[in-house]
Amino acid sequence: MSVGGIKAIVSRDASRPNVVLVSLLLATLAGWLGLDAVSVAPNRIVPGQGHAAWDVAGLPGLAISLLPMLAVLWLAWRPSRERLRLALALVVVMLAALPAWLALAAARLVDADLPQARMGVGAGAWVALFLLLLAMIELRTRLSLSRPLGWSLLLAPLVSLVAWLTFGLEPLALRQEFQGRSAGFIAAIGEHLLLVGAAVGISLVLGVCLALTMRRWERVRTLGFAVLNFLQTIPSLALFGLLLAPLAWLSAHVGWLAALGVSGIGWAPALLALVGYSLLPMVRNTYVALDEVDPGVIDAARGMGMSRAQVFRQVRLPLALPVILEGVRITTVQAIGLTAVAALIGAGGLGTFIFQGLGQAAMDLVLLGALPILVMALVADALLGALTDLLRPGGAT
Amino acid sequence: MTEAASDVAVRGARRWLTPLLWGGLLLGACLGMQHLEGLFRLVETDSRSVIYARADFLTLLGRHLLVVGVAALAAVVIGVGAAVAVTRRAGRDFLPLVAQLASIGQTFPPVAVLALAVPVLGFGTLPIIVALLLYGLLPIVRNTLAGLQGIDPGVREAARGMGMTSGQLLRQVELPLAAPVILAGIRTSVTINIATAAIGATVGASNLGDPIISGIVNGNTAYVLQGALLIGLLALTVDSVFARLQPAASTG
Repeated sequence: MSVGGIKAIVSRDASRPNVVLVSLLLATLAGWLGLDAVSVAPNRIVPGQGHAAWDVAGLPGLAISLLPMLAVLWLAWRPSRERLRLALALVVVMLAALPAWLALAAARLVDADLPQARMGVGAGAWVALFLLLLAMIELRTRLSLSRPLGWSLLLAPLVSLVAWLTFGLEPLALRQEFQGRSAGFIAAIGEHLLLVGAAVGISLVLGVCLALTMRRWERVRTLGFAVLNFLQTIPSLALFGLLLAPLAWLSAHVGWLAALGVSGIGWAPALLALVGYSLLPMVRNTYVALDEVDPGVIDAARGMGMSRAQVFRQVRLPLALPVILEGVRITTVQAIGLTAVAALIGAGGLGTFIFQGLGQAAMDLVLLGALPILVMALVADALLGALTDLLRPGGAT
Repeated sequence: MTEAASDVAVRGARRWLTPLLWGGLLLGACLGMQHLEGLFRLVETDSRSVIYARADFLTLLGRHLLVVGVAALAAVVIGVGAAVAVTRRAGRDFLPLVAQLASIGQTFPPVAVLALAVPVLGFGTLPIIVALLLYGLLPIVRNTLAGLQGIDPGVREAARGMGMTSGQLLRQVELPLAAPVILAGIRTSVTINIATAAIGATVGASNLGDPIISGIVNGNTAYVLQGALLIGLLALTVDSVFARLQPAASTG
């Protein structure tokens, strides 16, 4: 159902303009010219002052920055395959040049005598980044490039971003927020991954056991799905809240639980709630996967003299694995987001920065928490999706 | 005749029993929370006040419903509209991009979207509505596309053969056939948005998330429980309404 679900990619002749690309590029141009590219503030407290793109490098600089956009527009007008390839290359170059442009803005606009001065990324640059990424997706689809190839195209912009962040973008507010708490940031990523990993691991084991039990007993199935559906409906913040009182009571009255670090707030309610939410997609996918294996295949395996256990381990499970992995993917992506909410009840993780930042109205701190969560979710989705494709019968194995 | 009608009415009432029950519980909890003071006193022994009093629970419920309702309504109009537009001849060029965007966008955690909306749009109720709207669009677009693309081409041809115009085809054939899948998308969207709106209490929207946040900040478990109870009941009420609507749409 995912990206592969687009059935009708219309075959088009090259004489008609690619309307999608043209509109994306026109919007990019409008955003680049009309919105602030960066904002500069003398310190953390004062709100920044916006600077448009022509403030960064004057009119000649602006003209140079417009050239690749206009070129892509021209290429999209008569979209033959070669021209679209060239357009894709130009879009990748623009994405890779964006950090360099920010570094140029930092060098020209930020007063070097003010050590506290900081530069924020403006709406114009964000809009350009977003629309160019969309243009890249569109071009990838039109050229029907494979998924790994599409991802590897992001490599150049990423390398450029990392390089400029290390060497040229000291005044970037996001970087300054990171520098103030680099140890805490690494620790938060660790906590986040640990909670997600633990929740997914536990729910995978529990989910497979539960699905197997459900296959045996009809009653368990009806009841189990009813309970899990019910749990999934309860909003995360409410579930964390409802777990607070019983867990606080338990830790006050049961000595060894308190010694383990269980309490009304912290990792214990977070992990419990995460496992509760993760169970539904996990159980549903495992159940459906095991159930949908072709009975003919099972019969054939039995006919070959395999024992029940052998059939399960050597036939049913391998055939069901891709769908089970799909469940792991859904669960992982969901858990990454929910763990961010768990920061509200003191479970740590990257959500801490989001809620600290919102509390102090420090938007760059919010970004420091939200952007890695976003990246984590996208990477987990891509990796587990690729793994599922690999394990699918007739896949690349 | 009258007997049959009343029979249908009774069956109809029974179908709506679960939503009515949850809704009644929700309203009762909003109005009668003060009378449960003794119960909350057991949980929170050392605080002076055990009933959240900064705002009336009914007001908080109303604001929560307003934010989610406005966002959902706009998301349905825009989402279904966009999905219909890209499946028409004129908008076909945009189909691959919109389909990919709806599928990639759903990987974004709702909290991250909410957090990213604040720097752009500011604090308060409006930014939350916009964030909920944007995020709520994705499941609706995705399901509407799936519903429209899942229609047997033969059905379309038959309708055209009967002399239907494109507008009639859309209104009388395509949308009704896709309705169950679209409704499932709206249900997902609203469920996520009720939860995300509650987190919106941290960015200055006053709603049912407020008692939870203020309870966590002040260490008052009773407040947290009250907020959690009401949000849970709200989610269950709305979900049961959708659960009732869905089979009705698929058979009708």
